[in-house]
Amino acid sequence: MNSANFANSLQTWIGIGPLWIWAIVSALAVLFLLALPFGGFATYVERKIAADMQDRVGPNRVGPYGILQFIADAFKMLGKEDFIPLGCDKFLFNLAPVLVVMGACAAFAALPLSKYLIGADVNIGILFILSVTTLIAPGILLGSWSSANKWSLLGGLRAAAQIVSYEIPVALSILPVILISGSLQIGRMVELQGWSWTAEGLKQFHFWNAFHNPFTFISMILLFIGGLAETNRIPFDLPEAESELVSGFNTEFSGMRFGLYALAEFADVFVMCAIVTALYLGGWQIPFLNLDELWVTLPTFLIALIQLTVFLAKTFTLVFVVMWLRWTLPRLRVDQLMGLCWKGLVPIALFNVLGTAAWMWIFKGQSIAQLLYKLVSG
Amino acid sequence: MVNLLNWATGLHGYLFIGAVLFVLGTISIVSRKNAIGILLGIELVLNAAGINFVAFSKFRTGSIDGQVVALFIILIAAAEAAVALAIILRLYRLRETIDAGEANLMRN
Amino acid sequence: MSNGLKLVLFAAQLLTVASAILVALHPNVLYASVSLLFAFLGVAVMFVYAGADFIAGAQVIVYVGGVTILILFAIMLTQWLYKMNLKDVPAKLGIPVVIVGVGLIPALYKVMRELAAFVEKNPAPDLEKFANLPKTGVIGQALLSNYVLPFEAITILLLGALVGAVWLARPR
Repeated sequence: MNSANFANSLQTWIGIGPLWIWAIVSALAVLFLLALPFGGFATYVERKIAADMQDRVGPNRVGPYGILQFIADAFKMLGKEDFIPLGCDKFLFNLAPVLVVMGACAAFAALPLSKYLIGADVNIGILFILSVTTLIAPGILLGSWSSANKWSLLGGLRAAAQIVSYEIPVALSILPVILISGSLQIGRMVELQGWSWTAEGLKQFHFWNAFHNPFTFISMILLFIGGLAETNRIPFDLPEAESELVSGFNTEFSGMRFGLYALAEFADVFVMCAIVTALYLGGWQIPFLNLDELWVTLPTFLIALIQLTVFLAKTFTLVFVVMWLRWTLPRLRVDQLMGLCWKGLVPIALFNVLGTAAWMWIFKGQSIAQLLYKLVSG
Repeated sequence: MVNLLNWATGLHGYLFIGAVLFVLGTISIVSRKNAIGILLGIELVLNAAGINFVAFSKFRTGSIDGQVVALFIILIAAAEAAVALAIILRLYRLRETIDAGEANLMRN
Repeated sequence: MSNGLKLVLFAAQLLTVASAILVALHPNVLYASVSLLFAFLGVAVMFVYAGADFIAGAQVIVYVGGVTILILFAIMLTQWLYKMNLKDVPAKLGIPVVIVGVGLIPALYKVMRELAAFVEKNPAPDLEKFANLPKTGVIGQALLSNYVLPFEAITILLLGALVGAVWLARPR
């Protein structure tokens, strides 16, 4: 079981050119075909979903069903006046959106889009994603301070405190999956979540990690909640909608700088949902189907396409749930937010780690699916 | 140019960077008045030590000991930064300043 | 290792040294902290090239995502928000300190080179193979076998630091 990375796969399928050219092409493809279009399109999709839940229509003028709305928004933002508030710190004001976008987009390099389409299946995969997304917090903090605006500063301090606090339940919720998979490599974690209709195959695959044992199910929910808090989405978006008049830490950012913040927020939402999908919901695995055991061997190009579609379908479903929650739940106050993290999520996450370790020891690392199969067949 | 690259990416390059970071950290500790500036120097010094350990682990010993010690250095530096910043906050509350030259009385 | 990869490492080393120079000599302590952030990132890249992949990840998470945020919080909480007064005048000893420091660099480098030559009595058999191994498992095994005492001691140290920092910074 070995995953090829994106550049190797492209070189195998298309066949010409040295590897480093395909490495650059694959990096640009992931960035400009996935990260940036998603960041733009998600603004439109969110407005349409919001409209549907509020029983109105939403954008419908620009293009069929308003689908080109985000392109119109991009042109509008590019054409705005480059407004810098008086007394602000110009260098940090310009640096902050760059740091935030860097942190959000660099994680796309290690996402397991398909068995053959992982940008870089590094040995420390999930640690790499966690570490790169921590670049967002200093970006928000510096941006809020350099705006020379009291409400921005308070919003930024709260946002940074929230992000740093909720990294702990996120990391603790990733631990059970590391325990189960025995490796930090994301490609390996997703490969192990397969299914096989033979008894031999079922010894190496356990089904999706969310159904491995009851503790990992709770861990998945905790990871999802922590991801919501990391990206400043409702119900944790107090830093962004501070007094509901002023927009929190991105008050003074207008035009393309604000566009970069919005893009980074949606890219971060995608990364968090992609992590939950890859770690708990089987990544690019189709439930109860093993693409290597079909009666006909498909070409790897087709397999990669099918797996990419499955992965994107699962991730987009989670992104839809994130957007759905935005118009459903009220906002948490900052002390409720911090109390939820330190007094609620961290103990539950620790309990999950202990529970998963106990399960692995008692049942020798088998999932509920494997145990049921043994029960039924043996 | 290739010789420079080979030197910089070999053991001697790593050791030189370690030496440079250590000295710059020491300059920051000695010449800054702001207590947080002194803390920045301490973090640089600890990073330099970590670089040296990891470089020796890669180029000489081929064992994991250097990297384990570098991990311990990272952890201890984080703990020490947290406590140092808590002390700085206390000092600010008492004296309205974090100038290291002003904290020269043992009793309030 | 190809020359292109070596060039990337060299660029990261230049970034680290330039950031460290800014940390030591920039009068504005907030800019010095931002430069420290980039120095940490450069050091993480150097760790990756030295085969220390897990340490690089830990470096970014702990230093960039933890220590830098702590330092930025402390600056923003102690430099009285409305005054925005961040100029840090170096002491009268500014220039001589820099001269002595720069003179110290070759001395320190020579000492470390002597140490490197001294350690070379038993070159390890498989340096290249070791450098390309995934280190997470190896570090885990070492932490629980050879280094179990420092490991447990550091957990107590972290607990003490956590409780101590919370108590020291408690509101009046």
